[in-house]
Amino acid sequence: MSVIMSEEIEEIPLASSETSYNDAEKNDIFNREFMPHINSMYNFAFRLTMDEDDANDLVQDTYLKAFRFISSFERGTNAKAWLFRILKNSFINDYRKRSKEPSKVDYQEVETTYNSEEAAEVDHTTDLRVETVQDMIGDEVATALNSLPVDFRTVIILCDIEGFTYEEMAKILDIPIGTVRSRLHRARNLLKDKLKVYASSMGYDTDED
Amino acid sequence: MLLDMHSSASASENNETRKPQKQYCEHHAECLKKIQAVLDGEASEAEKEHFRENMDDCLHCIKMYHLEKCVKESLQAKVDKRLCPDNLVQAIKAKLNITA
Repeated sequence: MSVIMSEEIEEIPLASSETSYNDAEKNDIFNREFMPHINSMYNFAFRLTMDEDDANDLVQDTYLKAFRFISSFERGTNAKAWLFRILKNSFINDYRKRSKEPSKVDYQEVETTYNSEEAAEVDHTTDLRVETVQDMIGDEVATALNSLPVDFRTVIILCDIEGFTYEEMAKILDIPIGTVRSRLHRARNLLKDKLKVYASSMGYDTDED
Repeated sequence: MLLDMHSSASASENNETRKPQKQYCEHHAECLKKIQAVLDGEASEAEKEHFRENMDDCLHCIKMYHLEKCVKESLQAKVDKRLCPDNLVQAIKAKLNITA
């Protein structure tokens, strides 16, 4: 476990070629292409760390890194995905190891468990009602989302909250598109389980006896 | 595309059109993956076709579709989006000596 935990992953996406920008151009890229995403970046950081101070530090570190490695960014390309990838990798390298989140090893166990259970997949439609979810307020949905292991939480945030395409998510997470799809599928099943448990505990009407 | 899918799903529940026959879908895990791809705007043509066919016949798939759509919309619309504090924006710009 210590071996895996000490692995540092490449934080800055590799560019096909580096571009040398002058100070005015750097300034312009930062203001026009990076800063417009700062609210989305902060929201992502907060949903990952679930702590305002950590989110502040993570966003600041990410923007400082983005500026330092700005020559790796090709102007006019997908700045949001580029920044999200740096933030996600900074989170793994700098924050996750000191948090109480499940480690990479734990996550792999979770995914293996879900893989093995896929054949006998639980049918979620019969015990969670549309009306129940419609009646829930945002904090209740957020609580269910926050209770997911971070890798599952991440794909739901990227897809459903930030609206990234599967291809963009594959680049941000550095995994194949097929893995994006299967991880999203498992994440959503897990989320529905959490919503169902929460609904039952709050006395919402479910089909469960 | 999504609107077409939705109207197809709604039409399936309309008594004036053909009533869904299947109460339980034995392929629900696979169907659910296709439904999610459709809702995410990422379905292949084959997946869209499979989806359209099922939405006419399978009550189970119709239910899954509405639940998935509802959960996705709840995440999009209800979960609070945290805004970056102004002082953090200013701190980052100051550290990098960025001018507006």
